[in-house]
Amino acid sequence: MHLAEIRAEIDQTDMQIVKLINQRMEYVLRTGKLKQFILDPAREEQVLKQMLSQARGLIRPEFITELYQSIISESKLLQERNLKLVGFQGEHGAWGELAVRRYAEDMIPIPCMEFAHVFEGVRDKELDFGMVPVENSLEGAVTEVNDILVETELNIAGEVVVPVRQCLLALPGTDYREIKVVYSHPQALAQCRSFLSRNKLEPRPFYDTAGAARWLSQERPSSTAVIASPIAAELYGLDVIKEDIGDNTDNFTRFLLISREPSATPGNKCSLVFSTQHRAGALFEVLQVFAENEINLTRIESRPIRRNPGAYAFLLDFLGREDDPVVQKALGRIREMTPMSRILGYYPEAAPAR
Amino acid sequence: MENLKLVAGLGKERSKIQVGNAVFGESLVIIAGPCSVESDDQIMETALAVKAAGADILRGGAFKPRTSPYAFQGLGLQGLKYLAKAGEAAGLPVITEVLDTRDVSWVAEFAQMLQIGARNMQNFSLLKEVGKCQRPVLLKRGMYSTLEEWLNCAEYIMNEGNPQVVLCERGIRTFETYTRNTLDLSAVPAVKEISHLPVITDPTHGTGKVSLIKPMCLASVAAGADGITLEVHRNPPEALSDKDQALTHGEFDEIVKEVRLLERYMKEKKDALS
Repeated sequence: MHLAEIRAEIDQTDMQIVKLINQRMEYVLRTGKLKQFILDPAREEQVLKQMLSQARGLIRPEFITELYQSIISESKLLQERNLKLVGFQGEHGAWGELAVRRYAEDMIPIPCMEFAHVFEGVRDKELDFGMVPVENSLEGAVTEVNDILVETELNIAGEVVVPVRQCLLALPGTDYREIKVVYSHPQALAQCRSFLSRNKLEPRPFYDTAGAARWLSQERPSSTAVIASPIAAELYGLDVIKEDIGDNTDNFTRFLLISREPSATPGNKCSLVFSTQHRAGALFEVLQVFAENEINLTRIESRPIRRNPGAYAFLLDFLGREDDPVVQKALGRIREMTPMSRILGYYPEAAPAR
Repeated sequence: MENLKLVAGLGKERSKIQVGNAVFGESLVIIAGPCSVESDDQIMETALAVKAAGADILRGGAFKPRTSPYAFQGLGLQGLKYLAKAGEAAGLPVITEVLDTRDVSWVAEFAQMLQIGARNMQNFSLLKEVGKCQRPVLLKRGMYSTLEEWLNCAEYIMNEGNPQVVLCERGIRTFETYTRNTLDLSAVPAVKEISHLPVITDPTHGTGKVSLIKPMCLASVAAGADGITLEVHRNPPEALSDKDQALTHGEFDEIVKEVRLLERYMKEKKDALS
């Protein structure tokens, strides 16, 4: 190996060390939400003892002690700051993380494998909030999230609209002419269908856009690129071959902020879920209440109720304030008319993405 | 010329080819920019300057076919990104040369018009490849080529399904050494006699001398050219390629003013006569 090659390996290892420490800090913050007191000497001792058992080869016990004392003290400092943790689905660099950053800069995005984990984390108080995509301008409703919203006891406390700018990413030094296959989330591949076919690239599905970027940077397969956000390129040390490769530039995803508590600030928008009786005109009568009270609907989505096949739940968003008597009168009428109805939250309407 | 099925003009309407807001075959199209994209700020500065002066399309090479393999070969993909960004900022469509069949679809992702250079005029596999793509093509005349050879190359592109071809007379090799090439202005009316395709001139390469560029621009307009392409650099002595023939921003501005004046004069006179 040449000096430069060895150094490149060292740099790679350092990058991984920092990423793993970051991951450890994220878990620490989550446990911090569950603990009553930050100080826990018994746990600290246990961690240290366990790591000392790993001291072999070039790793001296004194070094382990010093290293872990430093990590533990940093962890406690972070816990004391009482940071707001927001779960999102996917890995770092996913569009959900960008939604968190766009919503509030001081919130800490925490990666979760699945949408259900985001909701469970908020419910179980490990996370303060969740950020989940509810609809996309090109691909429509994110069905899994809508299904969870029908059942959840959690509240919607805010929303944010994120412009989706898909990028083609490859390992640094890749000759773009050698690229043959492209990995990404099926939604992202679908959004870039025409770009892929113009350049004779074969699409291959992956569970997450940012996950594909991480996988590429670790496995380093040849002739391969991924579609992900520009942030993912930065995080995983990939080159942006081409920005904005989506077939339509009007590509936006609307995300909802999920919370145990209702929105702290009064909002001008409301989300409602309800079901109707199985008879002619039942849905029409509910919608008529909104029409008669001149309340503007911004979205309506129907989802099958999974524990009761044949029955449907309706997710409906409208512009209206909690302290508006007209809104309350309308909602009162709807409560009387429907077997199930629940306000998911009042929250401020998001600014347009552009 | 009997092999020219698609290029021949007899009985056909003159082609109009749109690139951004510019339409070849409708009014005089001015293409301008540096020989090579050298850096982010270099192409940006020139893009804004030529736009302000009244250019219609921004040019800039990312892949350079140089006489010597040791001369600057262009920035490649990075150059394409800088060019596209500068074009977007200035509100100009961009044109760039493509050298390699494997690059055609990628260059088309960044540029609104593709250029086939004089040295590649008879690179038939490259002609077929740009013929399969949806972008308008500027086909330069090879420096040793007859009109018939040149027009047959346009036929190659059109035969693959791409009707958007603009021809560019860029000077031919003669025994004259005072000028870099000899700009064959008679090619402009000659091509128009034979074909329905728009034809423009390249006085920069056609003369290789800054002092001769303006007169040849005016002569091109008088001869009926559908446009001109010019090399412009923010600081010609420092250009990484073709520094002896690049115009300054100021010189370009002056040429555009006179060329537009002549264009308007000719149009008014023509309208008055008809």
